[in-house]
Amino acid sequence: MDHLVRAAQRGDPEAMDALVRDLMPYVGRVCGAIALDRGDDAVQETFIAVLKSLGSLREPAALKGWVRRIAVRESIRVAGGRTVAMDPDIMPLPEAALADIATSLDIRATLAALAPEQRAMLVLRDVDGLSEAEIARALRVPVGTVKSRVHRARAAFRGRWQP
Amino acid sequence: MTGPGLDRPANEWPVASLDPIGRAKVLAASIPSAAFHLGVIDAPYEAVWSHAIDFENFTPQFDSQVDRVVIHNRAEEGDVTHLRMTATSHGISLPFRVRIEDGFCMMRGQARLYLVVMAAVPEDGGARTRFLHMEAIPRPGAGQFRRSIQREVDSDFSNLKRLAESGFPECPA
Repeated sequence: MDHLVRAAQRGDPEAMDALVRDLMPYVGRVCGAIALDRGDDAVQETFIAVLKSLGSLREPAALKGWVRRIAVRESIRVAGGRTVAMDPDIMPLPEAALADIATSLDIRATLAALAPEQRAMLVLRDVDGLSEAEIARALRVPVGTVKSRVHRARAAFRGRWQP
Repeated sequence: MTGPGLDRPANEWPVASLDPIGRAKVLAASIPSAAFHLGVIDAPYEAVWSHAIDFENFTPQFDSQVDRVVIHNRAEEGDVTHLRMTATSHGISLPFRVRIEDGFCMMRGQARLYLVVMAAVPEDGGARTRFLHMEAIPRPGAGQFRRSIQREVDSDFSNLKRLAESGFPECPA
């Protein structure tokens, strides 16, 4: 992967395309779960941003975390969410959303009831397997915010799907 | 602690993708000299794509800059076909390395002298074709050539569309 990143940084189009192919499954999962129906647009915007700023990535080993931040940022932006660090006071999980979660029939409908920023936290925690501290760093929010939001959203999911 | 509800397989989560057109647009946005033409061709996807990648027979018909194409080597790797070929333009031969997938093709000239990307997706159940043709000089400082490259890809797309929509009349069966 290091060799691929270095070649793409030098502007090699084959390396750029290979990088896109390699990252596609991961970026597709992140963007799909956060941007939902605009997921494909978010994927495209993510890869454009990744390739345009690839020169600023000094350590190829940090690629995945760097791409993750871009994918989350672009997904939230494309989905109409906030692009800056989230303020928990202005992002309450709406009661209507909780009600929707309780009756929704599938993951997509359940996710759609959440704000893009909240979907991002769930994806990073439960699909990507990041710790709350890692999510806080990735989204540039306090760990406490991540804990409370993930807890409430996960509780909503649990209530819907556990027997 | 297992994921709540999220203890369902991750593959049930919505997954986004990048179709061949999007993949080509990503490259176009990342290469300063790249120019592309995107449009819909009123001809079936299968026919359009099979002609688009018929380099030896069809490329000289829609690309006025290409006199002749000779394929020297062909290798299959799963769903990907790799070619090594030479395209001759105005008497000058340039070797190309080609990667072909269904709906996506990248042709890279030796020493990064030239890059051609074609991408296509079916529309209306395959009755029509959304097609993107892109060319670039993927070298530093080549951004100044973008306008002339744009004229070239516009011309190529126009020729391809005309031939496709008239049933590829001048092409071998």
